[in-house]
Amino acid sequence: MWAGSWRVRFQEAAEPWPENATLYQQLKGEQILLSDNAASLAVQAFLQMCNLPIKVVCRANAEYMSPSGKVPFIHVGNQVVSELGPIVQFVKAKGHSLSDGLDEVQKAEMKAYMELVNNMLLTAELYLQWCDEATVGEITHARYGSPYPWPLNHILAYQKQWEVKRKMKAIGWGNKTLDQVLEDVDQCCQALSQRLGTQPYFFNKQPTELDALVFGHLYTILTTQLTNDELSEKVKNYSNLLAFCRRIEQHYFEDRGKGSSSIRSS
Amino acid sequence: QRAGKMAAPMELFCWSGGWGLPSVDLDSLAVLTYARFTGAPLKVHKITNPWQSPSGTLPALRTSHGEVISVPHKIITHLRKEKYNADYDLSARQGADTLAFMSLLEEKLLPVLIHTFWVDTKNYVEVTRKWYAEATPFPLNFFLPGRMQRRFVERLQLLCGEHRPENEEELEKELYHEARECLTLLSQRLGSQKFFFGDAPASLDAFVFGYLALLLQAKLPSGKLQAHLRGLQNLCAYCTHILSLYFPWDGAEVPPPRPTTAGPDTEEEPNRRRNQILSVLAGLAAMVGYALLSGIVSIQRATPARATSTRSLSMAEEDEE
Repeated sequence: MWAGSWRVRFQEAAEPWPENATLYQQLKGEQILLSDNAASLAVQAFLQMCNLPIKVVCRANAEYMSPSGKVPFIHVGNQVVSELGPIVQFVKAKGHSLSDGLDEVQKAEMKAYMELVNNMLLTAELYLQWCDEATVGEITHARYGSPYPWPLNHILAYQKQWEVKRKMKAIGWGNKTLDQVLEDVDQCCQALSQRLGTQPYFFNKQPTELDALVFGHLYTILTTQLTNDELSEKVKNYSNLLAFCRRIEQHYFEDRGKGSSSIRSS
Repeated sequence: QRAGKMAAPMELFCWSGGWGLPSVDLDSLAVLTYARFTGAPLKVHKITNPWQSPSGTLPALRTSHGEVISVPHKIITHLRKEKYNADYDLSARQGADTLAFMSLLEEKLLPVLIHTFWVDTKNYVEVTRKWYAEATPFPLNFFLPGRMQRRFVERLQLLCGEHRPENEEELEKELYHEARECLTLLSQRLGSQKFFFGDAPASLDAFVFGYLALLLQAKLPSGKLQAHLRGLQNLCAYCTHILSLYFPWDGAEVPPPRPTTAGPDTEEEPNRRRNQILSVLAGLAAMVGYALLSGIVSIQRATPARATSTRSLSMAEEDEE
């Protein structure tokens, strides 16, 4: 299923970052879902912050090409690394890091807040996409199966939905209602907002991978059209988070003049 | 009607103690610790039979209005609503930190805890299953540990990602590596403070204590994480401090003289005796019934006078001779 089991070896760290590094994700217009789009944007933001050039390539089977089954993944030199966590470590091995200036306690907090985003925001996005019947029927099923012919599109969509539902049940989200999930999103945003305060970035002057991750998720939530606006409304309640997203978008995506269309998602 | 003292006391049902701890289950331990921190007047039922709990799972809280809550976070939220709030003095930023560190614990430490106690064969057979099999009453002790294990294994597989076709060892190594990192992070965050947010314990402390106490106290034959944890002095001191301060008699709680915990024990005794007597009677009845039916022994109703019967008997005797 996945194109060869590429094992990530950090020993080849000495090679510099090549010009032709590529990031793979699903098709932007018709296929990619909210949670995957958020993850991809987070990685793109991180790499921009590190000043590393990356080209975004859209493939329908990106999920299957990835070594861990999750998108996005980057192809650098002859290595393939997927997901933000391993990518951050890989980039660090190449000598670029955003969190070197932090002390131990701050690093602990950074890791904890990243887990908060993964634990609450990402899970809420998955819940909304796959367990909320309205969204599933109107958006998710159609988008997820769009590159495939009938009946494969239905089969794959149902299979993925079943997998996600199982996971939700295992972590205790199976019995949650949509309102409770939105409550959790609100709590998470409140925590992020309080941590950010009036600072430009989470750790004051310089952005870190936490900023990239939060930006990826919040920006995607704000700019993705869903069946209703409840999710984005939760984020809009916190003005400092909105300002934060705008700041990163302006500084790292517009100013660079690079394919800004890539983040003007529909 | 939302007064501080309720009409009917709140009742907490949780797994009973073992290995020197007030409870052997992570969630029960965390909820108990939080209750101790806040001094909430709970009637604690330490049981070993989840079927006796009002919700069928442990831990479970029966509120003073009769409602039953079984999700640990919700139990703590309810206690907070009833004004037993350990996070009252926390600033907004500290509240945010609590959420973040709870997520860190759930994502990095929980999978390893499940693996250590339920998946690692040596630990499971020698410690976990042994405790559960000995503690739960007949006939649950035959299938409950196995069922719990299957559920935990499934949960672990779902937590750790579905698309990992690599071998078990790699996954294990990665899991333990991340857990060790998590423990080091916790140690760094705690520093030399008494509790995570200063001098008073908060809800985060209850959960961290739950994880650490289980990892430290249980006598695990293969305790890879234990070794690392023992090296983090401040976390060990933190654990012992909470144990001695809030659970000073936990060692003696295992065979306590309290009526609530002695209840199930005394109920078991007459049950066992009764079961023994019944099984002996059943055996006897089976033997007698078989004997009667197969004709080895027969009961004859002799209606004529005794004299004739004795003569027939003596005639029978002569015949036999």
